[in-house]
Formats: sequence, structure tokens, C-alpha cells
Amino acid sequence: MNEKVFESAKLAQPVATGDYWQHLCYVSTWDAFLAQSVHEWSKVFRDGTKVKFGKPSGSYTPLGRVKGFPAYWNQWTFKVYPAFEINGLPNPNEVLNPNWDISYSLGPNSVSSRFIDDINQVYLHQPTANRIDIYNLGNGQRVGEIAHNAGEYFTSLAWVQPGQVAGLCKTSGKVMVMDYLSSPRVLVTGRIDPFKVAAYDSTFKLFFSIGTDHKTRVYCGELWPNGLSVPVFEPAIVYGLKGNRVRIRLTGQDGEPLSGWWVNWELEDVGSGIIGSLDKYGNLTDADGYASNLYIGPNDGSTGQCKIKARVVL
Amino acid sequence: MSLWPLNTVAPCMEYVDNGSCVPPPGPPLWGPLGLTYNGQLITCPKHYRQSTNSVANFFYEPGNDRIIAHIVLNTTYWPSWDVQRYEFNAEDGAWCNREEALARQAWIGIWGAAYTRAATMGSLGKIYACRNSETKIREVSWEYAEPATNGWWVDPYTWNPKSIYGYAVVNRIDNLLAAAANWTLDCWRNIGTTPERFAQLRLPNVLNYLAYESRNYCWVITQDGVILKADYQIPRWEMISTVQNPEVDALKYFITYDTKRKRVVVFRQRPDAADGACQHQLEFYYPMVKAGQLTQPVPVTSLKAGNHIILAAHLIGDAGEGMTPYTVAGEMISPVEGRLVTPFSGTELNGRVCLQYQAPNEACTETLKLGVTVEES
Repeated sequence: MNEKVFESAKLAQPVATGDYWQHLCYVSTWDAFLAQSVHEWSKVFRDGTKVKFGKPSGSYTPLGRVKGFPAYWNQWTFKVYPAFEINGLPNPNEVLNPNWDISYSLGPNSVSSRFIDDINQVYLHQPTANRIDIYNLGNGQRVGEIAHNAGEYFTSLAWVQPGQVAGLCKTSGKVMVMDYLSSPRVLVTGRIDPFKVAAYDSTFKLFFSIGTDHKTRVYCGELWPNGLSVPVFEPAIVYGLKGNRVRIRLTGQDGEPLSGWWVNWELEDVGSGIIGSLDKYGNLTDADGYASNLYIGPNDGSTGQCKIKARVVL
Repeated sequence: MSLWPLNTVAPCMEYVDNGSCVPPPGPPLWGPLGLTYNGQLITCPKHYRQSTNSVANFFYEPGNDRIIAHIVLNTTYWPSWDVQRYEFNAEDGAWCNREEALARQAWIGIWGAAYTRAATMGSLGKIYACRNSETKIREVSWEYAEPATNGWWVDPYTWNPKSIYGYAVVNRIDNLLAAAANWTLDCWRNIGTTPERFAQLRLPNVLNYLAYESRNYCWVITQDGVILKADYQIPRWEMISTVQNPEVDALKYFITYDTKRKRVVVFRQRPDAADGACQHQLEFYYPMVKAGQLTQPVPVTSLKAGNHIILAAHLIGDAGEGMTPYTVAGEMISPVEGRLVTPFSGTELNGRVCLQYQAPNEACTETLKLGVTVEES
């Protein structure tokens, strides 16, 4: 699970009764999100502030675009149009795919998003819930694929940085960052809470979602701790007058190692008093999620029980 | 850029007062008062002899430096309707022809109001309008909204593609026309020779009114009060904003641009008051920044203990427009465990402000308060 750094008290909810969000795109020049529902276009800020500015028509379906802008696919012309930076509205005077019509079967919808990189002439399509196909935007030829095996369509495909795209799954909350240019593959996996719509914030490298409860949530790229192993001595036998290596491992929801988290160590009396001492009382987990310490055994020959307690500072 | 509300004149006009009302069910068509149309207008508690049916035209008239509204009224007097011209001082919105209009002497005739729609000032300081009775766009008189004698006209229905418009801005100097029916602003060039539709702008909502600013720019107001400025020569959107305090019950919005003072004027058509009094209002806006709200600071980096944490907030206008340059000050509320590294910071073009906080090496809860000073004049 990715670390949730913010959850709003404000509700970003469409005005009309029964209306619901269908698409969400990060607009880098706004540093805010363009949300589209059945009846409205709104600008949504991270804290849940929402400003309605328009009403969408069925002709234009948003999709992700390189550099953190939305684009619109038109189901009648099969063309993709950029958005104006000022208001995010489609600009029908410029076409991003002049040489290849993106047919109905390849176009985006509210369940399965698409992505267009008109700089590198790439179009990403999701033929199945486990694969992304890479098309040459110039001639419509399929030139590669990303086997991500998420088991669910990405409701959002959004730009991360040159050559990388983020995919976000609505039901499972799975999120992935994938390379689609140099060596197509999954680079990073994570998970956020299930959502109604979500997008990737390419400025601060965040995942942003609006839940079915209309609250906005912000998740950073780092995973949130889910499990801390019990301290283990290596080797298992502990001696006095010696630094005995002890370590714990911090992992995420899917067992991923979590690095860079502060761990507090302490000795706890379980009836025999505090026996021995610790080398450190606070340190960071390493790249594999381990935090190590030394337990200095008693130097007076005393024996008994003492507990080593490790806590992660959240 | 955004819109700074200068002043509002509310109400900006009045109806002819009947002086008394008739208890429900109201007066019959023929009765002791004589022939009474639209009896509901003087059925208690209502007591005015007029009510707005529709606003036919709203524009700035540079020759007299006045804001003009041609309004079709429902009336209790014969023949049950009226069309009056309301003239407002462009400086402060004062109603200039009050006596004349209340005496029903500002009558413009039915043809101007019925056959002409959405008149707006165009190039050369003249007034142009689309027509309900034909497909032409014509130069019209500001007083009566009727076609000017030997006036300029074009007929987009003879162009390719054939087009019929309800709203248009005319730039005769550059041979350009920007016109809309409802959702799309069509941009035409060479309208004097071989007209060519060279571009289109998709509007964010159903158009309510269109206004000319200059040889490059025009203004759009949608049915929900969103105001946009467009460069119709490129074309592209230049800004998006909104009327101040958009109301759900506002009936319609009309926009014009005062080319002398370089500012936007909006006529907000509002429903009559409970006693039937007119509640329409004039709103004057200057195109410059006006801060509306400061969003809550949101951390955009990991909240791990010991981290340098960045928090982002936005100073925005009523339509979410970014505001700059403003200085936003941060203040940690006691008890403070960490340290606010940047106690103040300037907003960027999109209104964003980022503040940095150094967290302690232990778990804690902190409160950051942001504030900004906005000058009101």
C-alpha cells in the first residue's frame, strides 16, 4: 500500500443528483486536476476544492497525454485533439494523430483509458486487463506490448516522466509505473484505496484519487509499512560481553521491502530487569527493508530474560 | 488573468408600479379595472404592471457611452407586451432614461426585438446582430435594433459550410467573423470576399451571450455564468473566469465589453421579487486578478518522521484561476514539534505556493495555518 499523505474533509462531488465522475486528468500547468462527469467539467484541487467550469459533450473522451496534459478522442472523427492549457477544453483545430484514425475499438472509455505520446509518436491501448499494446501513432502499427498482469483495466493511464506512464486500477487499487519507450515493462507496483476516479500527479510524483465517498486522497510513491518482523538474532545464540547482531525487516502490503523508515529500539524488562544494552536506539531501514542493531550482552555474568522491542515511527 | 468585480448595481432598473394589487385570484381580463392582461402581475402581493419576458439585446454603445438593454416585457396593459430600451451610464451603471422608460416612452417597436437577437458592438464602433427572421448578420441601429439603412451585412447561410448563427462578433477591418449557434464558436476569415471557416472553439457550456472587445478578442458568457476571453484570430482561449456569486436561480447572463474603460459589463437577469419588483442587476468587472480562496495545504511528499516535507496550496479565484503574485505566509500552531523551513513563499502562475517543513524524528501531529493579504483596491 502506498503511503497516504492526505485525505480531504471537503467532498469533491458533482453538482447534479445522480451524477458521477468518469475521468480525471492531472493538468501540469494548473497543478490541479480536470474532472469530467456526465454533466460537468470541473477543476479539482488536492484538498478537495472543486470549481465547475463547463459541461462536457459525448463527442470528446479524455485520455492521458505526454507532459501531463489531457487530450480528447472524438468518437465521430477518430481523431485525438489536445486541450487548451487555460481551461482544459478540447482544441479541435489541432490533431495529434493526423495520419492514423484511432477507431472505436481502440479509443478510450471510462473503464479503460488510453494514452497518447505525440512527441514520440506512441499510442497505448489496453486490449486485455493484463496487457498494454504499443502502437506507432504515425502508421497505426503495433510495435510492442507491456505485460503487466494487473488483472484489471487501468481506468487511468497518465504521464509520469519521459517514456513512463502510470496505470491505476479502480477496483483493486493497484497502481503501476511502466516504461513504454526504451524497454517496455513494469517498473514499480503499488496499491492505493479503491476509488471512483484517479490520476497521476507528474509534478510531485503522487497518486491522486476521488473515492466513492467523494473525498480526495493523495498517495506518495513510497509504500506504507504493513508488516514488521520480530527481531531476529544472527547468529541465534546470544552471548554476554559481545555485540550480538539483531535485525528486523519492514515490508509493505505485498511483502515489498521498505527502506528509509526510522526504527526505534528499546530493551524491555520482563521480570529480570534490563540486562545488557543496545548499540543504537534509532536507525533507518536499508534498501532491503532491514534495520540492524547490536545487542551488547551483560558483562557481569548475569542471566535472565529481557525483551528487545523495535518500533517504526509512522 | 481573472476578473475583478468593480461594482454591482442591483437592481439596475424598475418596472412600472401599479400602485395597488388585486387579491387572488387576481383581476379578470375584463373587469372594473378595464382590460387587464397578465393579471398575475398585479395579483397580491405583486403590484407591477410589467415583468421581463426576455432580454433581446445587451451591448455597449460607444457613440453615447452607454450600456443598452432592449427588453421584451409582459404587461398588464394593451397589447400585453412591450419592448423598451433601457440605457445605463457606462461609468457607474446609473439608469439614464428612467423617466422615459417608466413613462413607456422608450418603446423600440416590436420588429427590432422580435427579429434581432444578441446585438453587440463590433468593429468601427457599430452595432451588429444576428436575425431571427433571416440568416443574415446585419448592422443594426442601437436605438431600435432594426437594420441600419444601407447598412453592412453578410449571410453565412451562403457560405461553405452553410451556417446559421445566433451570436456573432464582427471585425470588418480584418474581414473576420466569430459566431456561434450554441456550443461552438466558428471563426471565419475573408468574410468580404471568399469566406473560409478556418477554426473552431468548443465552448465549455451553452452560450448565453457574446461580446466584441477588439480586432483580436471577444468575450463569452455561458448559461452558468462562466466568462471566457478568446482570441478569435488564432484562435485560442485566453482566460476563464466567472461572475461573482453565480446563482442557481439567475435566469440568464448577458455580457458586453466597455471599450472605453476596458472592462466587462454583465447583465444578470434574475427572477422578480415576491412583490414583482425587478431584480436584474448590472455587474462591472475589470480584467485583473481577484483572489477568491486559499486551498488547504496538502503534503506532497512522504510524511515520514525526520523528513523534509513539502506542502502545496493554491491561491485561486472564483473559477479556480491561479493568482499571482501574492505572498502566502505560513504559521505553525502551538504545540510545535518540527520547524517550518519556509515561513512564507510567493504564488506561482497557477496560484500554487509550496512551503517546506522539517519533521522531527518522532511521530507528531502538527497544524499549519496559511494566510494571505489581498488588497481590495
